[in-house]
Amino acid sequence: MAHIIEMQDVCKSFGHTQVLHNIDFAIEEGEVVVIIGPSGSGKSTLIRCINCLEMISSGTLIVDSIRIPEERKRIREIRLEVGMVFQQFNLFPHLTALENVAFGPLKSRGMKKKEAVDIAADLLAKVGLSTFQDKLPGQLSGGQQQRVAIARALAVNPKVMLFDEPTSALDPEMIGEVLDVMKSIAHQSGMTMAVVTHEMGFASQVGDRLIFMDDGRIVEEGKPSEVMKNPRSERLRDFLGHVKHH
Amino acid sequence: MGFEFSVITDSIPALLAGAKLTWIITLLGIFGGMIFGILAGLGRLAGSEYLGETPHNRLSKGVATFIRYLSGGYVETIRGTPIIVQAMFIYFAFPMLVKALTDIERFRIEALTAAVITIVINAGAYIAEIVRGSVMSVNKGQIEAGLSLGISRFQLIAHIIGPIAFRRMIPPLGNQFIISLKDTSLFIVIGVGELTRQGQEIMASNFRALEIWLTVAIMYLIMTTVLAMSLRTIERKMKIF
Ligand SMILES: Nc1ncnc2c1ncn2[C@@H]1O[C@H](COP(=O)(O)OP(=O)(O)OP(=O)(O)O)[C@@H](O)[C@H]1O
Ligand SMILES: [Mg+2]
Repeated sequence: MAHIIEMQDVCKSFGHTQVLHNIDFAIEEGEVVVIIGPSGSGKSTLIRCINCLEMISSGTLIVDSIRIPEERKRIREIRLEVGMVFQQFNLFPHLTALENVAFGPLKSRGMKKKEAVDIAADLLAKVGLSTFQDKLPGQLSGGQQQRVAIARALAVNPKVMLFDEPTSALDPEMIGEVLDVMKSIAHQSGMTMAVVTHEMGFASQVGDRLIFMDDGRIVEEGKPSEVMKNPRSERLRDFLGHVKHH
Repeated sequence: MGFEFSVITDSIPALLAGAKLTWIITLLGIFGGMIFGILAGLGRLAGSEYLGETPHNRLSKGVATFIRYLSGGYVETIRGTPIIVQAMFIYFAFPMLVKALTDIERFRIEALTAAVITIVINAGAYIAEIVRGSVMSVNKGQIEAGLSLGISRFQLIAHIIGPIAFRRMIPPLGNQFIISLKDTSLFIVIGVGELTRQGQEIMASNFRALEIWLTVAIMYLIMTTVLAMSLRTIERKMKIF
């Protein structure tokens, strides 16, 4: 199988603190990888390295056959192929929902206005927000904002989508609507996805592989249902006990 | 010698001519000041994450440092010296400097030009700080969201950081524009026939201080009100977020 993302012996430090330790890991095309782990274990850092919001300190990152650090001039190409959804939505506050979604096609893909707006309107319909096209982010609920943010990332037509705790900032009653959108992306378009989340139901239903991180290392990985049923390490057992109680 | 209304009506044409000059200096000055301010304000943030600079993708470190020091030096020099000294320097001292350094014999700057340059440079320094503060207030997450879409740094500044920051700049800019307008009254010292100077000259010939300075004050008030109201209009026309 073709690896669309590969990390070879990747380390990442902030100043003197090492946050990622010799990570070796790959994602296949079409695979949905769910990443779990305690706070501060390096989950965000790991996926932020993939689209180069953080630069790896050593090792090699290969995204769609672009090699980092050797081809660091091609970071924008990587970002065009890798969309990202953030915990805090991060919509552009001065643009309407439609303008937010059309922004990528228009500016980074250089499409014509009409074309970009058509794509944006289609995607907003897919995430169930056609009637909210002309609203500013401040006029939308958290769940609606996150669905716009997902549409915005998809609009650039990436090969991979990264999600960093996309439902953690949401009220409980809005989590479902966002997870449903993510499920349909995984199932209908066969999108390659890396998802940091503590939603274990989502992990077992949608995930092809579950990765447990602790202290900057990948401690366990495997089929989600199996990893959850038979955690090998004590730390994962502790962690799963913790997550389930919430 | 009571309050003579005719003194006011007689003086109005000359005062209006002065007000017109005040207005021209102010508008040209704040226009140029905006350009200087935006360049220096962004310059002070060169190479920082506030402009979407990420560690792997930055301007050559030396260039960024040079730009930061250049902009910072400009801002601190202007903020640290009185505007009247700046006007004197540009009008009187600068031509001397040119003569000393080059063979140009008859270099001089028109008083009006010197006045405009002074406002441009002076307002530019303060506007630079307004720009810097507003840009720094833009949410880092929105910058990262822009970067993650694969846009260029120029697009990031033009379409995301710029518009978000601009909304926050309007109130302090209004303040600075009004200060700059009132600062033009200092150009009386280099002989520009602006409003205060016109008032002073009429006063020197008829000694009607009350009528003249009252009229001058009202004219300033009208001009500052127009400035403040135009900015309020721009603010109201912008989307609220
Ligand atoms: N920009 C940064 N500068 C310095 N240290 C950082 C930076 N970003 C993250 N860290 C540190 O790196 C470690 C890993 O952080 P990271 O955000 O990747 O963890 P996480 O697993 O995503 O945690 P959480 O579940 O709380 O989001 C933490 O100790 C954090 O303090
Ligand atoms: Mg995190």
